[in-house]
Amino acid sequence: MSFAVGFIAAVAFAVLAPVLQSVARARAWSLAPVIVLAITAVVSHVIGVLFGVLIVPQFRYWDAASIFSFGVMGYVFAFGAVSKSVSLDILLGLAERPDRTAPLSDVVERQVPALFQGRTGILIDGGLVEQIDSRFAATAAGQIMASRIGRLRRAFGIGDTGLYDFGE
Amino acid sequence: MNFLPGPAQTTAICLSAALPLLLLCYARITAIRGAGRRIRLGCLSVVVLFAIACIAIPGPRHLDDVVSGLFLLTTAMMLCYVLFSLLAWGFTLTLLTALARAGSPLTLEQWAAAYMQGGDLGNFAHNRLKLLIGSGMVIIADGKLAPTAKGLAVAHLVKFVRFSTGLG
Repeated sequence: MSFAVGFIAAVAFAVLAPVLQSVARARAWSLAPVIVLAITAVVSHVIGVLFGVLIVPQFRYWDAASIFSFGVMGYVFAFGAVSKSVSLDILLGLAERPDRTAPLSDVVERQVPALFQGRTGILIDGGLVEQIDSRFAATAAGQIMASRIGRLRRAFGIGDTGLYDFGE
Repeated sequence: MNFLPGPAQTTAICLSAALPLLLLCYARITAIRGAGRRIRLGCLSVVVLFAIACIAIPGPRHLDDVVSGLFLLTTAMMLCYVLFSLLAWGFTLTLLTALARAGSPLTLEQWAAAYMQGGDLGNFAHNRLKLLIGSGMVIIADGKLAPTAKGLAVAHLVKFVRFSTGLG
């Protein structure tokens, strides 16, 4: 029964999360999509636990939490995979064309630079990068974050190219 | 409410906490090259350890405890994979670290060159296209790119996931 409560809470999360994402976008809330997901997860988990305590006499927290966290993480995994993937943006760009083909040069010279500019916009909006005339520089917050990312990459033995290594 | 985890759940919680530490250790082993191989090996290691623990831990087995432990461990692996892939292959994060590393303001073209460490966005586009072509989602013929039937199916799935998660 505790599993069922966790499952219901996960379904509630899956229903609530897109609604809140849409509301956040429509009302231009200054919350990153991942923060909206985190808030929704905490709220649905707390409601789920309260619901479980009220209706299940021997409510087992970890049974409910395991299936809830698995469901939420599966959702976050899918969300992360489709939200900002460059490869999938290229694929969607091809699939949405009327003839479903595109010259390689068009993707390389037009679509990818457009994606690049979109990402620079995200960094500027997030206060991590500032534009000075036609040039760009990392802000103090951006420098701190870049330094933290660099330390983590070194600790985990990750290179700093961001490219896929097909030699693996 | 019973807040105490069962034996398999406890094992899964401990292995979940140990996974990032295991990845830190694997980063020190030069024979394990590549971020992708390291995260796969880390996940495989904790799954094997969990299976061994489920067999070796004394006392009666409860299916709900083992299934719940598996859910917890899978959640931890997905979370680690999301964070690890952001660090290893995150486009936006790498843009930030490239700009911070430059130390002075850059034009958009210089930023792209700094990101590609001497290359240009064409190299980046080819890297991402290699993934799409290698996975059989896109084909290239006569200098034109086109999605395959598999690519179109993935594009439809991506659109569905984007719609159902509130990404539009």
